Amino acid sequence: MGNSKHLGLYLLAPAGIFVILFFLAPVILTGIFGFTNMSTATGITGGSYMVSESSMRPLRSHFGEEALADQLMQRVYTIDEAGLQAAAEAGGDAAAIRELEARFLGQSFDRRRDVEVAIKSLNARPSSTRAIKLISAEFERSVVNTRFDTPEEMLAAIAGFGIVLNNAQTEALVDVAYTGWTFTTQNFKTMLELPDTKKTLINTLFYVFATLILFNTGFALVLSISTHYMPSRPAGFFRSIWLLPRVTPPVLYVLMWKWLAWDTGFLSVILEPLGFAPRNWMLDTPANAWTFIILINGIVGASMGMLIFSSAIKAIPPALFHASEVDGATRRQQIWHIILPQLRWPILFITIYQTLSLLTSFEYILLATDGGPGGATEVWALSTYLKALSNYGGALQYGYGAALSLVLVVIGISVSLIYLKLFDFKNLTAPPKIE
Amino acid sequence: MKNSRKLLVALATTTMLTVGPGVALAGEGTEYNISVWAAAGPSDIYRIGAIEIAAEQLEREYAVRGEIIHINIEGKPFTQWDEFRQGVTLAAEAGTAPNIVVASHVDIAPWAQSGLIVPVEDYVDLDSWPLNDIYPNLLEITSVQDQVWAIPQDAESRPFFFWKPHMKAIGYSDADLDGLAERIRLGDYTLSDMLVDARKMIDAGLVEENKGFWPRPSKGPDYWMFYMAFGGEMEDGNGRLLLDKTAMAEFYQFFVDAVELGVISKNHIGTPWDQWHGALTSGQVGMWQGGTWQFAEWTGKYELDFFANASFSLVPGGGDNGRANTLTQPLVYLMTSQDDEDIMGITGELITIASEPRTNALHAVLSAQLGISKAQETVGLYADDRWIREATPVLLPYASAQPNNVNFGQYFEVMFGGLQAAWTGQKTVDEAIADVETELKAALGDNIVIR
Repeated sequence: MGNSKHLGLYLLAPAGIFVILFFLAPVILTGIFGFTNMSTATGITGGSYMVSESSMRPLRSHFGEEALADQLMQRVYTIDEAGLQAAAEAGGDAAAIRELEARFLGQSFDRRRDVEVAIKSLNARPSSTRAIKLISAEFERSVVNTRFDTPEEMLAAIAGFGIVLNNAQTEALVDVAYTGWTFTTQNFKTMLELPDTKKTLINTLFYVFATLILFNTGFALVLSISTHYMPSRPAGFFRSIWLLPRVTPPVLYVLMWKWLAWDTGFLSVILEPLGFAPRNWMLDTPANAWTFIILINGIVGASMGMLIFSSAIKAIPPALFHASEVDGATRRQQIWHIILPQLRWPILFITIYQTLSLLTSFEYILLATDGGPGGATEVWALSTYLKALSNYGGALQYGYGAALSLVLVVIGISVSLIYLKLFDFKNLTAPPKIE
Repeated sequence: MKNSRKLLVALATTTMLTVGPGVALAGEGTEYNISVWAAAGPSDIYRIGAIEIAAEQLEREYAVRGEIIHINIEGKPFTQWDEFRQGVTLAAEAGTAPNIVVASHVDIAPWAQSGLIVPVEDYVDLDSWPLNDIYPNLLEITSVQDQVWAIPQDAESRPFFFWKPHMKAIGYSDADLDGLAERIRLGDYTLSDMLVDARKMIDAGLVEENKGFWPRPSKGPDYWMFYMAFGGEMEDGNGRLLLDKTAMAEFYQFFVDAVELGVISKNHIGTPWDQWHGALTSGQVGMWQGGTWQFAEWTGKYELDFFANASFSLVPGGGDNGRANTLTQPLVYLMTSQDDEDIMGITGELITIASEPRTNALHAVLSAQLGISKAQETVGLYADDRWIREATPVLLPYASAQPNNVNFGQYFEVMFGGLQAAWTGQKTVDEAIADVETELKAALGDNIVIR
């Protein structure tokens, strides 16, 4: 058992692998991706080099290489010896290749389809589209839309077609022809330039602190203190009721709020006789939307604080309460001088924990308002999700999304440090003076 | 005989060993496993089904030529676009992309650049039946950089609808209604006229406040039609995106005006779909804008007697600079990049056969989408369907599509964000346009022309 001090490490090794794979690696990758322009279009695993209409655009506009771009973009298909030989080696129909040589050798075409029309005009025309394609694939004498794995391959192909590039042109071409992602700090510049960034940040802070102060700690304290002064059975009953939203599936829970709020819903029905026109109460104004979002999140979130605070209050020695009652303390004085000072540690824990979880949670907002009306309730985490993983036109921006989530990590850490300072963490964890 | 059998087995074994996964020996002959992933709702079963039908046909064709092949189709339908796109892109990154993807044509540009898909024209013969019969404008929609990347799988269109009884109640005769689509096409009846009529319906008590005109209740390409109605273009003709600020401002203003008139509510976006369908199929809404495919749902689930109660047209133009228009967003068959040319060849053949008029008509009629080729109009199943027969000539010739541009997805989100901000009153139209401009400049730089 000499190695028993390492036993824990061995036992935890499998868990360690999971932690590294599913927690650490994603965080590190997000950090890296945040400094790239990665998107659906660039792919994740890397790109290739391609001369195409879109890669030639920056060659023209940024590098002024109009003539070179025109030259590169000329598509030519030539029936030549090399092509015929390659077609034969690829397994093309021998009779067709012989006839192609006899009738079309030296001729050039603009499109591969035209080469195929020529092949189809042969007496010895191959019997299927696949056999025709097998031959027509070998005659392209330009690089347009061809993917090359390395710049060297692309440059060699271009040189093979007699196009001579100087050093500056080579550098420019390699730069514009790359289809994959590159490292950049542009994401952060873009973030600063965008008008909605500031609004999203303010939304996020409002959402986090309003929910936190009103419900996750505030209302949780009210619940735990009030149930503390109740007889134990009704207190237990109340606490169980407050746990119900927590155990309701989020989609159903939000759906019930929607039924309550939409223009044919419960609120509209009971308010109509009072002179309020039916409307979608949740999305009617930003104030309404925020009210609902904070209620939806808060009612779920209050339960955790309630449980922790209640058990912390239970742990306070009853003698303290009895002594204070003997001294004639009121309930308010008991709360102020006994309960709250004893709850400093749990309040710190709940505040930090819930701040971090609210900063990153957007599922209830996504389900309830989807950031509406008009982006009024779009928070940072939702915005990150929308940019990186939900785009109606299919253009997912992984790099920008990762950069957005990096900012969230920085905010989370900063806020936690501020809390530790505010609650005087050092003193809280100092060893007891009497021992 | 014995020798030739040996040869066949040897050949098939070699094929199996050299072509790797996806191809295997199955008794006699070669077995191909082709996977098809499709964005498909319950009425879109033939997006995958057509490939299954094609597989049977192709096996027979090979058998006639003396070659035995077996094709197994593994279909996987996705009902959610986000999940579908994430699934396809991540599978491709992991090297396990499906062979065929049935996606929107707007996916072509980003997937082409990333190398996820290959140009379909390298594997199919566009100059032969049935592909040479596909509507040229649909093939244009599936082309990027001078190459055809996909074969259209369906076409649809997003028309404007009128509730006939209410139109009659505010003074339109049957003859007026019959001629309305043509007046709209000619620009004689505009979006402003529509707002006036919608208000009349509310004032006459035919429909409630905010139910004069209901467009699509969620984010969608439909809103580009209103941009185009005011003369906006999405691309400048040279492959660069285009923001026409005047047209965009007029388009936003139209929705702000509609809210002020009480014709539509400011938080229309977010109305649940079933509430939307239910209201407009029961005469609670005066006019609306929807999709041709929704006809199936309205006449089926909601039991709407469509031709008695509704008429349809292009989306009216917005005034002097605008034009009546509609938008089509074809779904397309895409081929992903695979190492095995043999499987790619089979895939191309399957897509070709699946595009035959009779096969495609199954999808078109079941899902109330429009067809892809001229010959389809002569297929009984298709020609006998009144909705498709009447809708195709009124809409399809005037349909434009979103551009195939890698940056279009970002432009789309910014456009819609601005619309929502103005529509819900979070920003004035001028503020929204200014923010849209700043955002597009920051996000897209040189890739967008701002006019």
